[in-house]
Amino acid sequence: MTFWPLLAAAALAGADTLTIPAGLDAYLPVPGSNPLTREKVELGKRLFFDTRLSRDNTVSCATCHDPQKAFTDDRPVGAGVGGRSGDRRVPRIVNRGYGKSFFWDGRAASLEEQVLQPIQNPKEMDLTLAEAASRTGVPVEKLQQALASYVRTILSGDSPYDRYLQGDRDALTAGQRLGLRLFRGKAGCTSCHLGPNFTDERFHNTGAGRAAGDGRYAATKDPRDRGAFKTPSLREAARTPPYMHDGSLQTIEEVIDFYDKGGKPSPSLDPEIRELHLTAEEKTALAAFLQALNGKVRDGM
Amino acid sequence: MRSGNAALALAAAFGWAAAELPPPAPRLVWSGPEVTLLGGPSRDGRHLSYVDAATGHLAIRDLASGRGRILTQKPAGSREFAYFSAISPDSRRVAYAWFNEEGYYDLRVVDLDGSNPRTLYRNEEAGFIQPCAWTPDSRSILTLLFRADNISQIALAPAEGGPPKVLRSLNWVYPKRMDISPDGRYIVYDSFAGESSGDRTLYLLSADGASEKKLLGAPGNYLFPLWTGKRVVYAGDRSGTMDAWELEIENGEPRGAPKLLRRDLGRILPLGITAAGDLYYGLRSGSVDVFVTTLSDPKGDARRVTLRFPGRNSMPDWSRDGKAIAYLSRRGSENFGQESRAIVIRRLDSEEERELLPKLAHLERVRWSPGGDALLASGSDNKGRGGLYLVNPETAAVRPLVSEAAASFRGFEGAWSSDGQRVLYPYHEQELRSRLVSGGSEATLYRGPRLHGLAVSPDGRWVAVGAGGKSIALIPAAAGEARLLPFDGLTELEWGRDLMAGRGAELWRIPLDGAAPLKLAGPGNRQAGFSLCPDGESIVLTAGNAKSEVWAVALK
Repeated sequence: MTFWPLLAAAALAGADTLTIPAGLDAYLPVPGSNPLTREKVELGKRLFFDTRLSRDNTVSCATCHDPQKAFTDDRPVGAGVGGRSGDRRVPRIVNRGYGKSFFWDGRAASLEEQVLQPIQNPKEMDLTLAEAASRTGVPVEKLQQALASYVRTILSGDSPYDRYLQGDRDALTAGQRLGLRLFRGKAGCTSCHLGPNFTDERFHNTGAGRAAGDGRYAATKDPRDRGAFKTPSLREAARTPPYMHDGSLQTIEEVIDFYDKGGKPSPSLDPEIRELHLTAEEKTALAAFLQALNGKVRDGM
Repeated sequence: MRSGNAALALAAAFGWAAAELPPPAPRLVWSGPEVTLLGGPSRDGRHLSYVDAATGHLAIRDLASGRGRILTQKPAGSREFAYFSAISPDSRRVAYAWFNEEGYYDLRVVDLDGSNPRTLYRNEEAGFIQPCAWTPDSRSILTLLFRADNISQIALAPAEGGPPKVLRSLNWVYPKRMDISPDGRYIVYDSFAGESSGDRTLYLLSADGASEKKLLGAPGNYLFPLWTGKRVVYAGDRSGTMDAWELEIENGEPRGAPKLLRRDLGRILPLGITAAGDLYYGLRSGSVDVFVTTLSDPKGDARRVTLRFPGRNSMPDWSRDGKAIAYLSRRGSENFGQESRAIVIRRLDSEEERELLPKLAHLERVRWSPGGDALLASGSDNKGRGGLYLVNPETAAVRPLVSEAAASFRGFEGAWSSDGQRVLYPYHEQELRSRLVSGGSEATLYRGPRLHGLAVSPDGRWVAVGAGGKSIALIPAAAGEARLLPFDGLTELEWGRDLMAGRGAELWRIPLDGAAPLKLAGPGNRQAGFSLCPDGESIVLTAGNAKSEVWAVALK
């Protein structure tokens, strides 16, 4: 069988193109108010690594969102200026260009809205926007658009799973194929983790983490949202522990055990979360399948 | 081709003013029990692709002579069949979906003379495939992929074979129709207007994936878009009826406001537009309803049960106390195979009819629990997962019992144990499972090929299930060896005073001692779905004459 090239180029504004890895949609949503250009992406990348965007010049976006670690880190919760601890696990920011809301609680509606908040958060970078603009010499709006544009180009795909989907039957081991069947069947993972990016972009209370009042509730004040957090993508998850929004689970195996037991009791536990009765062999297969979602992470134009 | 009375009635319904030149009347292109609506016209207007209902083959109909011709081949006894199809712009090839021997769909292509058949894409990860249109250069086929995780994807499949290029993924939502512009630059499709909206609207996606925009913002349900020249023609219910509209598109932007083309097209399923500007469309008409009658004289005493929405009801189930019947009632716009349905509960001791709208995407049938406190619904949820769901008959609240992404949207068949503690279901037609309603533990009762049709004896001692298309397996509910009763072509089973089987429109009484089944005199137009009253004499069944027709109307 002839395969299409594993990489597809998405046409963007002007002559610029963005290489989309295999497995992701060619259509990458870009707001009309911030078209993707090489110039903006390159500026955004420089800013992403610029420690001047933090109060004590020690922290850049990349400090927590480390490209070597699929744009996250390995701490349970983020670490900001002056050794201050954040509240939540640093999310992997791969494929966020396909996202519909941002942060674990979805309080930002766009990447443009999201990228400025860590700069201003006292527990993260602790600057005013005026200070950020002054330090970098980049006006706030341009800084915002450039950072959002760069983050939009951080993509993960071309994994063994993607190659399997393209028709390469040998791309997954027998154990991984069993894991894929469980993922969609008995384990019910696709209730939330589905599509090219393995997320429904919705909010669920799995029982993990701190008590009511946290999560999506902080953004909506809807009691039904207590303890609900956004479904993260599973791409690159297997190689980037720890897990859950609070980093409370250390390994993929612990995560599978957590869901197998039906999460943790909570008044607003999502009805999708229930005991799975997985065997040891099935848990091993599921863990193996999740390894197949580690692919290639690329950024920039 | 001919124009019939229905055409005149349709034309009259358009309501043009007396002084205006009336628009061309629609003409009936094809009618009869063999009509299927899964293909489309060739661009030159000479042919129509379709599925031969008797054999499941892809076929082509010569629209001038009315003669049909089979294009595909398959081994004798094969369960393979053709589904959606689209003819290439040069009218030389047909791309079609083919349900293969492994139980999922290939994308295939064949020349219009039946030669040169080949498989373009075969991947069980894309469990269902719908070719919708060809690019103008005939190099790619605009195809909908329905992935095993219930994601639908808009993709361009190379006409020479290989994996499709995915342009756009849509969670749990599939467009009812999509088409590509004559210049090949844009794809138009329908999808939900918003996260929480049940209405559809039209979206314009550039064929290189660079951009997308919503075309229509006004409230209403807009769907089934097709492209002709610079115009997108679509169906919309903005005026209260399903009308045909058009919107001009220039360089990817709407130009001007939508224009009303035709009023009240009825239960329309657009099939395609020819180069000459003729819109070919399917129409569903006729009436299907729920009737109560008696086993001793099924033809004589038939009485319609339903009160509201006559002609659109099916799949009844009689409550164990004999006082109520639950049935399904069609709602909303047409679809190719997945109707939108409500559950209606009809009390027989009053004129009360109550409607339930459970949060499920599709309802295939319902069955009362022995205690009458739950309905077991076969169907699929709003995430596209098929299975069995418990529906509260008072509140319509839904609780999933068995639900999985790999199941058909029709879900699993299901039947209650006589004590209501368990639900039995044939898992993927290969394994008869018994599931405890509270707790969820499962046991396997029987394994065999093609298990379907399921009934439990009223005393709870026996389970009957169609097996292999040739027999009915009689399985002791406690334990023990199954007995096979020969019966060809089973479509349904119900168990009241006797074990009763459906075979298409026919009803049969099945003696348990192995004696020959006895055919009952019944309505010749019985449709799927019957249930037996606890009195042992009454039966409620679906009957009617739903039909499909192909029509054409000039848009210019």
